[in-house]
Parts: sequence; structure tokens; C-alpha cells
Amino acid sequence: MNASDSDEDIYNERSALVRSESPALPSYIPDSDLTPPNGTPTKRLKVSFRSESLQCFVPTRPAALTPSEEEELTLKYGAKHVIMLFIPVTLCMVVVVATIKSVSFYTEKTDQQLIYTPFTENTSSVGRRLLNSVLNTIIMISVIVVMTIFLVVLYKYRCYKFIHGWLILSSLMLLFWFSFMYLGEVFKTYNLAMDYPTVGVIIWNFGAVGMICIHWKGPLQLQQAYLILISALMALVFIKYLPEWSAWVILGAISVYDLVAVLSPKGPLRMLVETAQERNEPIFPALIYSCECVHCSRSAPINNGSAACLMFVIVSSDQKRHKLRNKTLACFVFWTDGLCLTLLLLAIFKKALPALPISITFGLVFYFSTDFLVQPFMDNLAAHQFYI
Amino acid sequence: MNLERLPNEEKLSLCRKYYLGGFAFLPFLWLVNVVWFFREAFLKPAYTEQLQIKAYVKRSALGLLLWVAVLTTWITIYQHFRAEWGEVGDYLSFTIPLGIP
Repeated sequence: MNASDSDEDIYNERSALVRSESPALPSYIPDSDLTPPNGTPTKRLKVSFRSESLQCFVPTRPAALTPSEEEELTLKYGAKHVIMLFIPVTLCMVVVVATIKSVSFYTEKTDQQLIYTPFTENTSSVGRRLLNSVLNTIIMISVIVVMTIFLVVLYKYRCYKFIHGWLILSSLMLLFWFSFMYLGEVFKTYNLAMDYPTVGVIIWNFGAVGMICIHWKGPLQLQQAYLILISALMALVFIKYLPEWSAWVILGAISVYDLVAVLSPKGPLRMLVETAQERNEPIFPALIYSCECVHCSRSAPINNGSAACLMFVIVSSDQKRHKLRNKTLACFVFWTDGLCLTLLLLAIFKKALPALPISITFGLVFYFSTDFLVQPFMDNLAAHQFYI
Repeated sequence: MNLERLPNEEKLSLCRKYYLGGFAFLPFLWLVNVVWFFREAFLKPAYTEQLQIKAYVKRSALGLLLWVAVLTTWITIYQHFRAEWGEVGDYLSFTIPLGIP
């Protein structure tokens, strides 16, 4: 049965985390219309490539339906999946925002920065600061490109063990070290005493069960919960160590890179997918957020490389920091619209689509326009005591 | 992972592995085992492997309760007597609260 095949696929080539230092990879969705020449049903490819910052939508459908049925169902899917993707991202944002509001550690500006963004933004002139953020972006994006190509090369030469080891190492770090830091900061914030044995047991349990759920077999909801938590943890690290202006420029640049890498014929991920198709095997599963549509008559899970929301979580959390609720809400609304649009386009075009650009563009545009348009408007209203 | 789609032998194998894994100081794993396999063990119509799955779930629950008891006792003792223990208390502490109680 196609349905169970696809489900087996998801769980056989399990997801694995990409380490936080490893790059954000562009999203890619395979052309789901490909059918083998002999006309047998399309083997559904679970292509999801994880990135800390990019999404990948993988629509999977069983074959052999009439065109009108297809149309109707794809549109229905669009709606359902928007909702299903909405929930984890919202949850992720809630966790991050709650942390930022309560635990001051993550918003205390420090001179420490990631090695990927060596140029400081602590400069006196605006021009210098802008230059530094652009330079930081260039470095970050080059790292991303290099790592992407490296990963594709590894896959091409079948160095599966290497990839697997790398992914396990990165998930280990996330699940143990970052959560340990996080727990420590939470305890400090609430001024609680905590002893090493208890903390040891907590972190060991959290990490070990996380590894089991993600890399092996575990209940679906638990796996999803872990993915959300891990995305939140990473967002927090980025918020702490990524300087503000660099973050904005990186966001824009990644969006552009996403477009280029997915739609251009020589993009690394395109090559990756083509190689996987040649070998007729699912591409190395990275972090897959699998929204299984349990009520669908045809079970067709959609896989979303989670943590693309990461970027948006960072963005909205940044706004929270500046206590501008309007901006946060506006961005969130427009991100949702972007997501809907992207999924709709996916249904219409039925081919590879970068998942981020629309959302990010919307978000960026409206973030900055609220500054220039909405805020003065609201100020004026308030000044005249006019409530709407 | 959807348990529905697994054959019974695999369900049993999974339950057993989770049970054995919990002995590595992982009560959380036992908790997951209990919650996940509860329906399989107690609410489904009987099948051959169900008896063993039931046994594993019960034992996991027992182990879990034991751990909860031990941890609660230890945490209570620690929180109560930490200040009095002086140096040992500080040595054991991951975070120490500031200020005067």
C-alpha cells in the first residue's frame, strides 16, 4: 500500500538533526509529478532537508487519481497543512517569547559573538555598522553555501556514515548542552536552588529520550514536541549571539539564496534531489517535522524541515525585546499569509518551491513599514485620544 | 511512529526495548513506555503478544513510581537542609539562590 509505504519511509530513514554550527540549507521540494516510465505509482520521496533556518515542503500524494479529484484534494491539503504547520511554529514562538520575557540572560547583550559573525556592531558610525553587518552576512552565507555543497558531495559519494555521525553529534549538543544552559538560566532567574544530581537526572532523561525519539523510534507527538523545543533553543542562542543588523541582512540574504538554490538548475540541493531520485531512495532525512494528516482519507503526511520558523521566531522575539507589540503581531500575521501563499503556490505549481522567500519578504516589508506608517499613525491617534 | 501500523511482534519488541532502556537511569523512558503502550496493553482486544506487553507496561509503571518516590524524597531533603549543610550543600548545588530568605 502506498500509504503505509510512505509512513514506513518516514520512520525508516529517520530524521536527524543538523548541528547548530552547520549551515542553513536551502529548501527543496522534489517534483512530485515524476513517475517512472513504466507508469507504476510514484514512489513518494521524503525529501526534507533540515536547516536551522530554511524550510522544505514535501508534498506527498498517492498516485492514480482523476485530475478533478487531484485538484480538489490538493487545495484541501493546502488549507489543512497551513493549520498543521501553524501550530508548531506558534508553539515555538510562544516558548521563545516566554523565555525572552522572563529570562534576561538571552537578551543581555554580550560582546561575545559567533565565529560566523566576527565583525562587531558596536561601532560609532551608522555606515561602519552597516558595513560590518553586510560583511557578517557574507561570511555566514558563504559558510552556508560551503557546507551545503560539502553535504551534497558527501551524499553523492555515499559517505552515509559520516553524515549520520555528524547529525548525531549535532543533536547531542543541542539536546544536552544547550538545554543544560537553558535550565541553569531559568533557575537563576527564579532564584531557585538546585543540586547537581537532580539536574543531572533531568538533563540525562531529556537528552536521551530526545535522541531516541528523533533518531530511532518514538511516539509522533513526542518527536514533534522535541523538534519544537530544539528549534526554540536554537532560536534563543541565535538571539543572544547574533547582532541585530546582521540578523536582518542575513534574513534577506537567505531568502534570496533559497530562491536561487532551489530554482536554478545548478543549485546544490537540486543536485541532491536528483541524485536521490536516480538512486530511488529517500534523501538523507534531516529534521523532519511530519504533520501526519490522520483524518485524511488518503494519508499523506507533509514533511516540513522544521526550524525555518527559526528565523521568524528570532525576528519576532527581537521585536518583543523592543516592546513593540504592533510589530510583532503584524509580522506574525504577515508570516502566516506568506505561509498560506507558499502552500497555495505549491499546490498550484506542484513543483519545488522555496519555502521562505514569500514569508520573509512579507515579514521584512511589514516590519519596516510599521515603523514608518503604523507607528506614527497610532501615535497620532493616541495624541488625539481617538480610539479605534 | 504510528503503533497501529506495526505488526504485533514489533510492538512487543519496541515495548521491551523501551522497558530495558529505562534501566539506564531513564524513568522518563518508562513514562513514555507506559503512556504510549497503555492503550495497546489494556484497551485493545486480546492478541497473543498482549500479555507480555501488559507485563512490561506494568513493570515500567512500577519502576517509574519508584523513581518518583526516590527523587521526591531527595529533592525534599536537599531543599530543606541545603542551607544547614554548609560547604557540602554548596558543593552539591548547581544554582544557589541569592539574598536572605
